[in-house]
Amino acid sequence: MCHGVPRWARLNLRLAIMNQDVSSSVQPEASRPFLQVAGVHKRFTGVHALRGVSLSFERGQIYHLLGENGCGKSTLIKIISGAQPPDEGELVIEGVRHARLSALEALAAGIETVYQDLSLLPNMSVAENVALTSELALHEGRLARTFDRRELARTAARALEAVGLPGDAEFQATLIEQLPLATRQLVAIARAIASEAKFVIMDEPTTSLTQKEVDNLIAVLANLRAQGVTVLFVSHKLDECYAIGGEVIVLRDGQKMAQGPIAQFTKAQISELMTGRHLSNERYREGGLGQDVVLDVRAFTRAGQFSDVSFRLHGGEILGITGLLDSGRNELARALAGVAPAQSGQVVLDGRRIALRTPSDAKRHRIGYVPEDRLNEGLFLDKPIRDNVITAMISSLRDRFGQIDRARAQALAEQTVKDLQIATPGVDKPVQSLSGGNQQRVLIGRWLAIDPRVLILHGPTVGVDVGSKDIIYRIMQRLSQRGIGIILISDDLPELLQNCDRILMMKKGRVASEYRADELSEADLYHALLSEAA
Amino acid sequence: MNSRLNPRMNQPMTTPTVAEVAPEVKPPSLRTRLARNPEWFTVALIVLTCLLVGAINPRFFQLATLFDLLHSATTMSLFALGTLVVLASGGIDVSFTAIAALTMYGITKAVFAWWPDAPFALILITGALGGVMLGVVNGLLVHRLKAPSLIVTIGTQYLYRGMLLTFIGTTFFMNIPHSMDHFGRIPLFFYHTADGLRAVLPVSVLALVAAAFVTWWLLNRTMMGRGVYAMGGSLAIAERLGYNLRAIHLFVFGYTGMLAGIAGILHVSNNRLANPFDLVGSELDVIAAVILGGARITGGTGTVVGTLLGVVLVTLIKSVLILVGVPSTWQKVIIGAFILIAGTLFALQRKR
Repeated sequence: MCHGVPRWARLNLRLAIMNQDVSSSVQPEASRPFLQVAGVHKRFTGVHALRGVSLSFERGQIYHLLGENGCGKSTLIKIISGAQPPDEGELVIEGVRHARLSALEALAAGIETVYQDLSLLPNMSVAENVALTSELALHEGRLARTFDRRELARTAARALEAVGLPGDAEFQATLIEQLPLATRQLVAIARAIASEAKFVIMDEPTTSLTQKEVDNLIAVLANLRAQGVTVLFVSHKLDECYAIGGEVIVLRDGQKMAQGPIAQFTKAQISELMTGRHLSNERYREGGLGQDVVLDVRAFTRAGQFSDVSFRLHGGEILGITGLLDSGRNELARALAGVAPAQSGQVVLDGRRIALRTPSDAKRHRIGYVPEDRLNEGLFLDKPIRDNVITAMISSLRDRFGQIDRARAQALAEQTVKDLQIATPGVDKPVQSLSGGNQQRVLIGRWLAIDPRVLILHGPTVGVDVGSKDIIYRIMQRLSQRGIGIILISDDLPELLQNCDRILMMKKGRVASEYRADELSEADLYHALLSEAA
Repeated sequence: MNSRLNPRMNQPMTTPTVAEVAPEVKPPSLRTRLARNPEWFTVALIVLTCLLVGAINPRFFQLATLFDLLHSATTMSLFALGTLVVLASGGIDVSFTAIAALTMYGITKAVFAWWPDAPFALILITGALGGVMLGVVNGLLVHRLKAPSLIVTIGTQYLYRGMLLTFIGTTFFMNIPHSMDHFGRIPLFFYHTADGLRAVLPVSVLALVAAAFVTWWLLNRTMMGRGVYAMGGSLAIAERLGYNLRAIHLFVFGYTGMLAGIAGILHVSNNRLANPFDLVGSELDVIAAVILGGARITGGTGTVVGTLLGVVLVTLIKSVLILVGVPSTWQKVIIGAFILIAGTLFALQRKR
C-alpha cells in the first residue's frame, strides 16, 4: 500500500495520561461522530472501486469492515487515511470537512493505520519503535535534534502497558526481531497509542495470531474503546468479529450493503451480504477415505518443537491438524516438507521408508507443501504465473539439451489456471497481480503439476475472502477424490470441521487427541483447543 | 446455527483485563544477550592474540606497544567509524580511501605550492570540508539513483582516484608543509624505554578519541543517528514513518567523507609523506575490521565500541605478528580465518 507519509504531521503530540476513566473527556463531544464519510466515489482506470459510500464512525466504537477481496475495502482505508483522495464526496472529521484529505491532515487528526506488515523496524528496540515516531513528530521531522531518552522510555512504558506488555527497561531494550509475531502486533498498536491515535485502522491484525493471542488483542481493543478511541477492524474472520462486538459494515462491489450492530446479523446473513450468494456452513466433505495408508509417520521428533508424533494418512483422506501456535503444528508441517527436518522418527510412504531431510527430498517423493506464509516462503511474486506453476516440476520439462520446453510449460500453466479457476487474463501476468485467494491457488497448482501423493496445506485460507475459500475447499475435495492424501494444518475451526475426516489436536509438541470431524461441534473443538492446562 | 458454532458469540462481551491474557515475554537468554553484544567475541579474539604473542615475546607487554598500536590505528579508526555509519544505514562505501587520497594529496600539494606556512588547523578543516563535498556526491547519487551504494561508490572510487592521478599528480613528495610535519611530531606523552628508545604517543590519537566520541554521540543521542539505524533496518518502513531519507543519505556519506578527509591529512602528517598511490586498496581491511567488531553487512547494526575493537584486532594482527617472527604474508590468512570464524558464529546464532 502507498503511504509515504510523515507521521510528524501530527503537531499535537505528547501523550495524554492513559486513564481508564476518560469518560469526562469524551462526553462533551460525544454527540458528534468522530468521522463521517459522505457519498464517496473512487474510480481507477476502468474500475469504479467505490460507488457512493456513506458511513459514520462514533467515538469509542469498534467497526468491522467486511467484504470480499476487490470490494473496495482497501480503497476505503486509503481514502480515510489520506493516502488517496476521493473523486467525489468528502470526509468530515470532528465537524471539519475535507474534500481532499491529505495524509498529513489524517495523521494530524489522529487517524493511525496499523498495516498488515506492522511497519516495525526489526533491528531497533521496542522502546524506539513505540516512541521514536512520536518524538520525530515532535520535532516535525527534523533530524538534527537530540532526544530525551528518559522521556522516550516514559512514553514507551505508558503505551506498552496500555496494551498489556511489560514496560520495564529489559523489555523496552529488546529488539523487535527477537519478538514473536503476536507481541510485535501489540507493539505496533502501542506505537499508535504513543502517537495519540483517536481512530485506529487495523488491517487484518489477527491473520497470524492464535486464539489466545486474539483474545489478548480483543482485550486491548476493549481498552482502547474505553478510552474513546475508534477502531476500524478489517478481518476475514467472522467469528472474531462476533467476539469483539461493535458495528459491522459490509461492502460489496464498492457499495455499502449494510451497517449496524453485529449482533443483529447472523453469520449466514453477513456471508450472503458479502458475496451476494448463499453460502452454507454445511460440510464440504463428501468422499470417504480409502483403505490404503499413504503416509505413515512414526515417533516423529524435533527437539523442543514436537516429539513422538505418530499418525497415518489414508489415500483420499483429509486429515486436519490443529493446536495453538506453540503446539508444534507449524514445526511439524515444516518437518514433513523437509524444510526444518525431524531429528528422529520414521516416515513410510506407500510402504517404503523415506527420508525427509530437505525440501527436495519431499518433492522427489511427491509430497507437496503449501506454506502458511505464501508471500515469503511460497511464491516468486514478481514472476509470471507460469513460472510459479512449473517451478516444482521444472526438471521434467527439460528436453534433451536441458532446455525448458516452453510450449509444454505454457500448456501446463494454462491447464492449471483453468482447473483451479484462477482469475487472470493470462499466465504471463505476475503473481502479485492476483488476489490472495488466487495466489493460493497458484501455489496449490504448482504441486498438482508433480501429481502429488500427499499434499500438505498449511493455513490455505489465511487472508482469503469467503468466496475464494469456497473455491479452495471445493478444490481440496476434488483432489482428495483423486486419491491424494491431504494434511490440512489450520487454526480455523469451522474450516477443519467442514473439510476433514479426522482432526488431530496438538498440544505442547505432542498429539493430544484425535477426533472424527463429522461427530464434533465447533464448541467442543474450541473447548478442546483451549483446555491446554488440563 | 451460528450460536452453536461459536461458543462465545452470544455471551455479553466482558472485558478481560489485559494482564490476564498478555503474552508471556521470556527474559532473554545468555545466547540472545551475546547476539545483542557481539563485541565480546572481538574482545575474546584480542585477548587471545595478545596472550599468544606475549607468551612468545614478553617484550610485547609494554606501554610502547600500545603507543605503536594507537599510532598505526588512527587512520584506520577514522575510516572504520565512517564505515560503521554507512553499514548501520544499510549501505556500503568503498570510495572513502579514494576520498582520503584525493583530499590529502590535493591539499598538501596546494598548501605547499601556495601557502607553505598555513596553520595546521586550517589544513585539517579544509581536508574535512573536501571530504564532506566528495562524500555528499556519493550520498546524492545513492539517493537520487536509488542505486546500490556499492555500485555507486565503486564508480566514485575510480572517478576520484582517476582525477587525482590524472589532474593532480603521480609523484610522491616528502617536503610536506611545515605545520603538518610539526603536528606529526608533537607528542601527547612520551617516556624512555628500558633500552633507551623514546616511546611516543602522538597527539593525533586525540583525533581518534574525538571522532569516536562524536560518532557515538551522533548515532546514539540524536534523531539523525536513530534515523540512520532506522534506514538500515528497512528503507521502506523508515520512509513511511516519516524519516527524511535524503537527509540521512547525505549525512551518512558526507560524514564518512569528512572522516576520510581528516584521516588523509593526519596520515600525511604522521608519515611525513604524501603519496598519491597510498591508502586506496585498504578498503577491505577497514570493512573487515568493522564486521569483526560485530556490525552486520546487511545493515542496521553495529556499535562504536565494537568498531574500535575490530580495528584494534586487525591492527594488532598487522603490526605485532612481526614481533613474534610470523611472516607478514600470514596476516591475511589470520584475518581471513578470524572473519570466517566470526561469520560462522554470527550465522549459527541467527539460526537458533
